[in-house]
Amino acid sequence: MAGGSVTTGAEGSVLLKWIATLGLLIVVAIPCLFIVVQAIFPEFGSGSFAAPFSLFFKTLSDPALFGMAGNTLLLGVGTVICAAVFAVPLAALRALYRVPGALIWDGLLLIPFMIPPYIAALGWIMTLQPRGYLEQVTGFNMASLLFSVSGIMLIMGLNTFSVVYFVLSRTFETIGARYSDVGRVFGAGQWRSFWRITFPLAMPGLAASLLLVFAMSIEEYGTPAALGRRIGFEVLVTGIENRISEWPIDLPGSATLSLVLVGMALVAFMVQRWLLNRRDYRIVGGKPQASDKRSLGVWAVPATLLFAFVALLATGLPILAILATALSRTISGGLKPSNMGLDNFRELLGAGSDGLIALGNSLMLGTTTALLAGLLGAITAYSVVKGRGRFRIVLDALSITPNSLPGVVVGVGIILAWNQPWLPITPYNTPFILLLAYVCILLPQPVRYATASLHQLGDNLESAARVSGAGPLRAFTRIVFPLILPSMVTAMILVFAVASRELVASLLVAPVGFQTIAVYIWQQFDQGSAGLGMAMAFCAVLITTLIPLALISLLRWLTRGSVAGLS
Amino acid sequence: MFSKSSAVSGAPALSLQGVSMSYGAEKVLHQIDLNLAAGEVLGLLGPSGCGKTTLLRLISGLLLPDAGQIQIAGTTVAAPRAGITLPPEKRGLGMVFQDYALWPHMSVARNVAFPLEMMRVGASECKDRVTRALDRVGLGAMAERRPSDLSGGQQQRVAIARAIVAEPPLVLFDEPLSNLDRELRETMVEEIADLVADLNLSAVYVTHDHAEALTLANHVAVMRGGWVEQLAAPAELVDHPKTAAVAEFLRLGCLLPALHDAENWLIKGTDLSLPAGVFGGAEAQVLLPEKALRLDANGPNKLKTEVLRAQVRSTGQALTLRVVGTNHVIRHLTPAPVRAGDVLELSFSPEDLRWFPVADPHH
Repeated sequence: MAGGSVTTGAEGSVLLKWIATLGLLIVVAIPCLFIVVQAIFPEFGSGSFAAPFSLFFKTLSDPALFGMAGNTLLLGVGTVICAAVFAVPLAALRALYRVPGALIWDGLLLIPFMIPPYIAALGWIMTLQPRGYLEQVTGFNMASLLFSVSGIMLIMGLNTFSVVYFVLSRTFETIGARYSDVGRVFGAGQWRSFWRITFPLAMPGLAASLLLVFAMSIEEYGTPAALGRRIGFEVLVTGIENRISEWPIDLPGSATLSLVLVGMALVAFMVQRWLLNRRDYRIVGGKPQASDKRSLGVWAVPATLLFAFVALLATGLPILAILATALSRTISGGLKPSNMGLDNFRELLGAGSDGLIALGNSLMLGTTTALLAGLLGAITAYSVVKGRGRFRIVLDALSITPNSLPGVVVGVGIILAWNQPWLPITPYNTPFILLLAYVCILLPQPVRYATASLHQLGDNLESAARVSGAGPLRAFTRIVFPLILPSMVTAMILVFAVASRELVASLLVAPVGFQTIAVYIWQQFDQGSAGLGMAMAFCAVLITTLIPLALISLLRWLTRGSVAGLS
Repeated sequence: MFSKSSAVSGAPALSLQGVSMSYGAEKVLHQIDLNLAAGEVLGLLGPSGCGKTTLLRLISGLLLPDAGQIQIAGTTVAAPRAGITLPPEKRGLGMVFQDYALWPHMSVARNVAFPLEMMRVGASECKDRVTRALDRVGLGAMAERRPSDLSGGQQQRVAIARAIVAEPPLVLFDEPLSNLDRELRETMVEEIADLVADLNLSAVYVTHDHAEALTLANHVAVMRGGWVEQLAAPAELVDHPKTAAVAEFLRLGCLLPALHDAENWLIKGTDLSLPAGVFGGAEAQVLLPEKALRLDANGPNKLKTEVLRAQVRSTGQALTLRVVGTNHVIRHLTPAPVRAGDVLELSFSPEDLRWFPVADPHH
């Protein structure tokens, strides 16, 4: 008990600490470790540590790598530019002016969050490909734009810009109400005050959300795989997937490429964290206050048209294309009333069909992932908040590592770790392996929700339980956990929605013959049954959106406002 | 039922020997020795940062000391040298927190019942005791409400009920009234005083408000910079403050710097003489206690002052007076009508003055 280290009497539960440590080791550390080991020791798969680094540097100096890394960066930057071009003007208009139908536009722009990017990309293919819906309706053929690098950037920009739009319009409003109005009192006009005060103050928030878009786009698999492969545009994600799933299988290569990709994602994530944690910009956040917004005057119509156009591109077209394809009896039959019918849905949802089994698998896996990730996330966040010294740093680092682990890398790590021939038992080739992958990918969400919620709890609530005679574990189960439960439920619903339609890790590690929603859609599309795939996509979007919404309203009704935090 | 507490056993309710504590390199508590007999209340009084809350957390077990020994009702609960570190839940305490710390997801009754549940008290007995504890604090009718439905004062009463329901040998109060407004604070001090006396509780009461400490405690430890500056009964503390710092913190009156010239004590920087004190040395601080001053000119010693401000209070006029020829300020409360600018003669007796050395004993 030497002086110099602070010892508290009310340490968190030791049992929970070990559960968190063990859980993070299995779910996060082992896949990461195996990627690093495999990248260094190419013969590791056959149990040998021979020739360390022999392939590592060879892969790193391979011109193909430079091509893929360059393409990845290009795609990331291009997507960010597209997202900014769509988001910034709309956000500024929304924050500063009375836009007609503003709430409707907000609602429509939320929908891209609910459509997985690979489904939207497939929708765009159906629309823009030669003899696609656009050509059938208008006669224009835009296939050359669709299958081009800028086309991929545009589609991914449309898929991600709403993140930037919502962050930015909220930031503009908050800052506008609190600081920009002060500028106007001192004589600056509305535009001057926007450029001199609001925009500079919103810069960190804008930069952070654009970095998020960057990270999302370099980690995305579906869109570049569906569009880029046809024009030979290979990015790191598709390159990694290629090396591990196509003959000849190149484990060391995929491990090394994974490290490069994680490096990029890590830089984006660290810069984003640094931007958001800088003290001088803490003002961003909080509820936007009602501020006096200006009327658009004669610009009301053009502004409304702009919102309508972007909403149509981002939300309307992909959804309509999905629905049109799902309702078409045959793709070649085109958009004719005689070709429309519910045949695809009937086949998809027929008793004992593959589609129904895939749906059931995904719902089951999504629910289990949500429960496991929620529990592990809550325990981890608690152990980090209560922890001290080096132990806390290790736990904290492990729990946020998956933020910079793209799904494809998690898949590679899990294959490398659990497909070793010397393992006596392994979850590999069972549905549990998908569970491991999903929990790893989605763990940061519940950890973030739980940490925020724990920081809002007064320290004394737990202290009071301890003084009243509850041991550390009991204080957690009786006091801490029930109090953070509402925000954990929100996090778990989010986890469910994402896990039940995750694509790339599912493609990589799903056991032979085991289908999830995403695997089913992807395979139907590959096999030319786009109609069936799109019927599944439509059901998936409905289910993964409607079930969570229903759950949230049910919870609200059950607690009837007596529990804080369910909003 | 409540009165059994620890008064039956002969051991002191609380005993601290040589307790020290550091945060990193900074020592926040120095060699604290305290004893509290069963059925008595110890006030820990001091400005923020003096270590009083840390000391309370050491007693509760929410922090562990670096050195020394803590005993509660005869049981050693912390003694780092002997390797004894009892966690808070094993110390059998009751505690009232500054922010109430009521659990928002439980009803008032469930909050109060929690310590009994932890002791595995049977359901029917538990219910009786919760009802009695809530009745004691006047909230019997609120048992099924949520804490968030109650006012601040009611919430703190629930917290008090929770702290006493298990009849602990020692109850800890951590600035329980500082989140309440002034009027409520004054009522609640009296309620707590009655409760403590009725139940014959042993308690430690942390506060930065000297009025609270003097009202509630049998003994008050005035703390400063991690040291106990003085430990005494309230009357003793007011009549014989041990150091200038104690006198200043308790706002007992005006502290004047004094210099000893060839034969007299003078107020430093003036030729105003003070009555000779029984004090060695050439320099001192002299306390002119507010309660020793009279506005008539009949006392043996006199001091000429000018009225700087006269503020109307419900109990009279609060005067801010300046000793003529100096910048020293004296506060005085009088029912007499006085106006700013008046010159008044204050009188006092030499035996009421308190003399302190200039050097700080610890630093």
